[in-house]
Amino acid sequence: MSDHQNNGDSRVETFDARSPSRRRFLKSMGASGLAAATAPAWAQIAQASQQQQNAPVEPQDDGAPAEGEQQIQLTVNGVEHTLNVKPNAVLLDVLRDRLMLTGTKKGCDQGQCGACTLLVNDTAINSCLSLAVSHDGDSVTTIEGLSNGDELHPVQAAFWEHDAYQCGYCTSGQIMSAVAILNDDNIGSDDASVREAMSGNICRCGAYKNILAAVQDARGKMEGAS
Amino acid sequence: MREFDYARADSPRQAVSTHGSNEQAAYLAGGTTLLDLVKIDIMRPEQVVDINRLDLNEIETLDDGRTRIGALVTNTALARHERIQSDYTVLSEALLSGATTQLRNKATTAGNVMQRVRCPYFRDGVSSCNKREPGSGCAAIEGHNRSVHAVLGTSEHCIATHPSDMCVAMAAIGATVTVEGPEGQREIDFLDFHLLPGDAPEREHNLKPGELITHVTLDAPLNNGRSGYLKLRDRASYQFALASSAVIVTLDGDTIVDARVALGGVGTKPWRAHEAEKALKGQQVSESSFQRAAEIAMQGATPYAHNAFKIPLGQQAIVRNLTTLTA
Amino acid sequence: MSDSIIGAGPKRIDGQRKVTGEAPYAADHHPDNMAYGYGVFSTIASGTITGLDLEAARQSPGVIDIFHHNHFPELHRTPSSMAQGNKVEETRLPFEDNRVHYEGQFVALVVADTFDNARAAARKVGVSYQRDDAIANLDQGVKAHGTKPGSGNHERGDAEGNFDGAAHSIDVTYTTPVETHNPMEMHASVASWEGDRLSIFESSQGVVQQRGALSKIFGIPPSHIRVESPFIGSGFGSKLWMWPHAVAASVAARETGRPVQLVVPRPQMFTTTGHRPETRQRMRLATDDNGRLVSLRHESINTTSFTDQYVETCGSVTQSLYSCPNLTVSHETTRVNRGTPTSMRAPGAAPGLFALESAIDEMALAAGVDPLEFRLNNYADRDESQDLDFSSNHIREATEKAAEKFGWHDRNPEVGSMRDGHEIVGYGMAACNWEAIKRECEARVSLRADGTAYVTCATQDIGTGTYTIIAQTVSDITGLGLEKITVRLGDTSYPNGPISGGSWTTATTLPAVAAATREAIKELKGYATSEKGDFADVDNDSDSLVFENGQLTHDGQGVNYVDVLKGQKLASADGHAHTQGADDRYSYRSFGAHFVEVRWDPGISNLRVSRVVSAIDVGRVINSLTARNQVEGAIVMGLGMAHFEATDYDARNGRPVNNNYAEYVVPVHADQPPEVDVILLDYPDLEFNEFGARGIGEIGITGMAAAVANAVYHATGKRIRDLPIFKEKLMENIPAVQSA
Repeated sequence: MSDHQNNGDSRVETFDARSPSRRRFLKSMGASGLAAATAPAWAQIAQASQQQQNAPVEPQDDGAPAEGEQQIQLTVNGVEHTLNVKPNAVLLDVLRDRLMLTGTKKGCDQGQCGACTLLVNDTAINSCLSLAVSHDGDSVTTIEGLSNGDELHPVQAAFWEHDAYQCGYCTSGQIMSAVAILNDDNIGSDDASVREAMSGNICRCGAYKNILAAVQDARGKMEGAS
Repeated sequence: MREFDYARADSPRQAVSTHGSNEQAAYLAGGTTLLDLVKIDIMRPEQVVDINRLDLNEIETLDDGRTRIGALVTNTALARHERIQSDYTVLSEALLSGATTQLRNKATTAGNVMQRVRCPYFRDGVSSCNKREPGSGCAAIEGHNRSVHAVLGTSEHCIATHPSDMCVAMAAIGATVTVEGPEGQREIDFLDFHLLPGDAPEREHNLKPGELITHVTLDAPLNNGRSGYLKLRDRASYQFALASSAVIVTLDGDTIVDARVALGGVGTKPWRAHEAEKALKGQQVSESSFQRAAEIAMQGATPYAHNAFKIPLGQQAIVRNLTTLTA
Repeated sequence: MSDSIIGAGPKRIDGQRKVTGEAPYAADHHPDNMAYGYGVFSTIASGTITGLDLEAARQSPGVIDIFHHNHFPELHRTPSSMAQGNKVEETRLPFEDNRVHYEGQFVALVVADTFDNARAAARKVGVSYQRDDAIANLDQGVKAHGTKPGSGNHERGDAEGNFDGAAHSIDVTYTTPVETHNPMEMHASVASWEGDRLSIFESSQGVVQQRGALSKIFGIPPSHIRVESPFIGSGFGSKLWMWPHAVAASVAARETGRPVQLVVPRPQMFTTTGHRPETRQRMRLATDDNGRLVSLRHESINTTSFTDQYVETCGSVTQSLYSCPNLTVSHETTRVNRGTPTSMRAPGAAPGLFALESAIDEMALAAGVDPLEFRLNNYADRDESQDLDFSSNHIREATEKAAEKFGWHDRNPEVGSMRDGHEIVGYGMAACNWEAIKRECEARVSLRADGTAYVTCATQDIGTGTYTIIAQTVSDITGLGLEKITVRLGDTSYPNGPISGGSWTTATTLPAVAAATREAIKELKGYATSEKGDFADVDNDSDSLVFENGQLTHDGQGVNYVDVLKGQKLASADGHAHTQGADDRYSYRSFGAHFVEVRWDPGISNLRVSRVVSAIDVGRVINSLTARNQVEGAIVMGLGMAHFEATDYDARNGRPVNNNYAEYVVPVHADQPPEVDVILLDYPDLEFNEFGARGIGEIGITGMAAAVANAVYHATGKRIRDLPIFKEKLMENIPAVQSA
C-alpha cells in the first residue's frame, strides 16, 4: 500500500458556504493550526478540489509499483496523476480514498443508483463498476472539476437555484449526468427524454421535479452561452 | 473484491492466449456484470484479461446485407448507430430500454450477450443454486420468484430469466456470434448460443473454455420490415423486464407476410417464438390473430408461485407490439 | 426585509457546497492513518454461530484485526431512553454473543489498511451455524407465538356495540409490507480515539442521542464523546438512532489504535439499520343513514424483532381525524426473525392512513356518498381523542381547494368510465395528517464584531433546509443578510438540539434560535448602555432602545452594532437560549389532502400516476422553496410505497431476497408524474410557536398510497388492500399455480 501523499497537507477550511473569499484567505495563509483549534474536525477534510487547481501534479507514485500493483496514469480534472494501484482497486475508491476527491459518492457500490456517476473521456459512467487499472491513460472529470474557481458550471448554478436536491448525496451524480446529457445531441430536449435519460440517477428524496427544472434551465443558459 | 491478476490484451489472439483454458480466468469488457459479481463474491476470477483496448469497436455493413458488430461496441453506440436505428429499430429500442444511460455507456455488445442472471438465490452466495453450485438444488422454484424468474424454458434445476433486452432483439433479428478461441475462430448461431438450463444450468452458453466473442453479426434486415421492442415492468425505467417482446413484421396490405417474435423477461434464454411466427404468417392484421399467436407463444409456460402473471403479461407484450407496428 | 424573509424562498445557504461536492458526508472524512472496516454478516435468520474460520482472512493482504463475539471487549447496553438522550432501536450490542436473530446481522468485522483489502478479507471469513427455524413473516409470527400488546391505544364510546345495527358497515383488512428507507448515503461511521475520548463522524439524524448512547455503552462521560454529522445523505428515520455498526467502528478504532471507517453495505441497509415493519390492519367502520360515522375500529399488528419491541402506531391518526363517538384503536406486535424496525417517514401514519383512507373510501361507497363529500361530512372539528380544540385546522379548505384545482367535480363516479385511448383514468383522494411536535432545544447565537452572526445548535440538516431556515430566523430578527450568517449544526459540541425527525425540527429549533438571537441583542444592549457605551445614559431595558437592520437606535440616533463591539474591543455579543416543548392547551396537528389521477392500460397491464394535486396545511411556511420540495419529495416516496416498494423475505427461512437497489424498486426520474401541484395554505399557527410553523417533512407521504389505491379502484373496480399495487393484482386471466 502506497502512502497517501497528500495527507500531509495541513490546510484547513472553515465552513462558510457564503464566503469563499474567506476560505481562500485561510488557505493562502497555509493556515496550519490557525482554525484547527476552533473548527470542527470535519472542516479539516482534504481540500481536494482546490488542491487540483493549486498543485498541478499530485499525488504521484514515483516509485516502481509494489508486487501485485500496476502503475497507471490518470488525468483527473485536468491534472495528471501517476498512481500505483492494485488490480482490484475500483476507480471510485481510488478517487475518494487516494486522491481525496470525495465529491463523487458511493450509494450502492453495485451500479444500481448512479451516485458515483462521473465522466471518463467525456462519457458518463458508473465509477463503482470500473477498475482503476482499466482507465490507464484516461481523462476523468468529477464534480470537483466542473466549476471554474468560484464560478459555478451552469448546471451547478441551476441546481442551486431550483433547489434540485434535498440531502445532496445524489447531487454530484445527478449533475454529472445532466452535464453529459446536455452535451449529447442524441438525447431529446423534451421533458420525457430528459427524465428517461436521467433515470440512472436515483434521488430517494424525490426531488425529481426540481432536478428536471434545473436541467432544462441550464440547457437554456448553456445554449445561450454557446 | 478478492485479489486477481490483471493483464491487458492488445489483440484477440493475445487475449485468448493469456486466458488460455484457465477456468479461473475472465475477460473484462465493460465490467457491468463481471465487477458486480466479483464484488459480491459470486465470481472469483484469479486472472482478469482486460479486452477493452482491442480493436473491436466497428459496426460494418457486409456485402451480403448483414451487419457486423464488434464485441466492444457499447450499448449506447450500437443503439445510436444510424443503420441500427433505421434497419434494426427493434435492436435500438431494446438497447435503450435496458439499464441506464451510464451503464449503456460502459456495457458492450459481447458483455451484454454474456450477462448473468439476476436471481437473488444465485446472487446471495448461500442459497441452493445449481448455477452457482451444481447439484445443490434451486431455491427459487419454491421460493420468491416474482420478477426475475421465467415461465418458459424452465427446468426443475433452474428458473432464472436471461436478463438482456438486447439479446431478445437479436434473437428476433437472427444473428451469428463469432468467437476466437484456443482452437481458432468459429461461428455460433445466436439462437444456439444461450443454453436452456435443463439439468446443467451452470452451463449458460455454448462457448468453450477460453473462447472470446469478437463479433456479433446480424442477419440482413427483412425487406420493408417494421420492428419494435416493448418492455413491461414495474417502474418506468431502470428495471429488468417482467415481460418484453421484440417483433418484426412485413405486411402486404393487411396481410402479414413475415413475422419474427422473441420474448424477454419470461424465458430462461432470449426466447424466440417460432410457433407464434408461423401462426401469424398469412393472417390478416387483427387483434384476434395477434391474440392467438400470443397464446401460442406462451403455450407450455409453467407458472410459479409469484410469476404466473407473466403468462398473460407476455401475451400482452406481443399483442400490443404487433398492434402498434401494424397500425 | 425583516418582514419578508420568513416565508420567502431564498436558496439554501449550504447549496453551493452541495452542488460542488464539497459538503462533507460521514465517509468523506479521512483522518490520518485511517483503517477500513468491512462486515461479515449472518447468512441465516435464526440460530447460533458454532464456528468461525478466520485463517484465510487473517492472511489476506493488509488485514489488521478481525472482531467477533469471542474477540470483542465487554461493553454495556444503553438503557435506550429518549428522555435521557441515549435511545437506540436495537439494544443488543454487536458481537454480544453467538446468537443470530436475523439475516444480515454482524457476525464479524474485518479491519484492514484499505477498503478493498477489508472487503476482500471479509469474503474469506468462514462462518458455521446451527440453524433454527426462522419466523419469516407476520403470519408465521402470529401463528407461532401470537401477539404482544403495544402502545398508543385509544378507546372511546362503544365501537363494538354501535357496529352491528348500523345502517352501513364495512369490515376489511389491509396489509403493508416491510419498506426500507434506502437513503442514498449508506450508513457510515468514522471513529477515532484520543486517550479515552471518542470522536465519530456519523451519518446521523440525532448526534445528541448517539453521544448519549455511546456514553452508556462505553461507560465514559458524554463530554468525552463528539459526534459530528454536518451533512447526511438523508435518513428518512433510519438514522434517527444509532445502529450496531457505529459501536463496532468505535470498538475497532479503540482496539486497533487507528481511526476506522465503517460503511454499511447497501444489502445490509435492509437488515441492520431498521425498516418500516410489516403491518396487518383490520378496519371496521359503520355509519348511520346520513353517512355519519357511528363506529370506527382500527386494530393493527406489526412485526418486531426478537431483540426489541417496536410499535408501528398505525391508528395514531385514526383517533382524531374523523368525528366518531365510538372508536377503538389498538396496536399489537409479533416477533419475527428480522432486524429491529424503526421509524420511517411518517411512522404509523403512512401505513395507518393507507388503511384508514382506503377504508373511508370503501365506507363512502358503501354508504352511497361521494368520497369527498363523505370526508367533509365526517372530518372532526376538534380532537375527540384528547378532548381538545385543534390549535389550527384548515383541512376543509385544503380538501376543497385541492379538489377544485384537481377537477374532482368533473369525475364520473362510475368505475372504469373515464377512458383516454388505451388507458382508463381513475381519480382518487385521501386526507393527510401528521402531529405537530415541539421539543425543548438549546441554541447559541453570536453577533460578531466582523458584522456577521454565528449560530450553533446540535440538531441536523438532513436535507430539509434547516441550515437555511435558521439563517432566515436570525436574519428576520437582526436584519442581517443571509450571506452574513453562518450556521453550524450536526455536532455535539454545540448546544443540545433535537433529533431531525417527526417534522419537529422547525418548530423546535427556530424558537430557540430566535430566543438566543434576542439574548445576544440584549447582551449587546448591555454593552451599549454600559458606562463605556454609546448609550451610556439609556436604560438597557428601555423599549425605546431598538435593534433593527444591524443598528441599535434610540431617539433617532443609530449606531451600528459592529461599532458598539469594536468600541469596546469585544469579539461578539452572545446569546444562549433553552426553550421548552409544546404545551397541552391544544391538539397540534397538520392537515391536508391528496388528489391523484392514475392511468391503467389494461392491454399491457401498466399503471402510472399521471397527476397529483395536494393541499397542505402546516401552519406558516418558513421557506417556500424547501417546504414545497419536502412535500413534492414525500409525494414521490408515497408513489413508491403505493406502487413498488416491498422488502421480500423468503417465507421458508426469513432471507431477504431483494435487498439491493435494483430489485427493491423505488421511483426513478421516469416515474415522476408530469403534473405535481402542491398548494401550501400558509396559515400561521401562532398557538404553537411564535413563527406559526408546524413542520413539513412527514405529512406529504401520509395518505398518498390510499389516494392511489382509491384512484385504482375508480379506474379498475379492484380494491387493493395489500400494498404495493403490483400490476398482477389488477390483471385478469392469471393462471393458477399448482403447488409442488
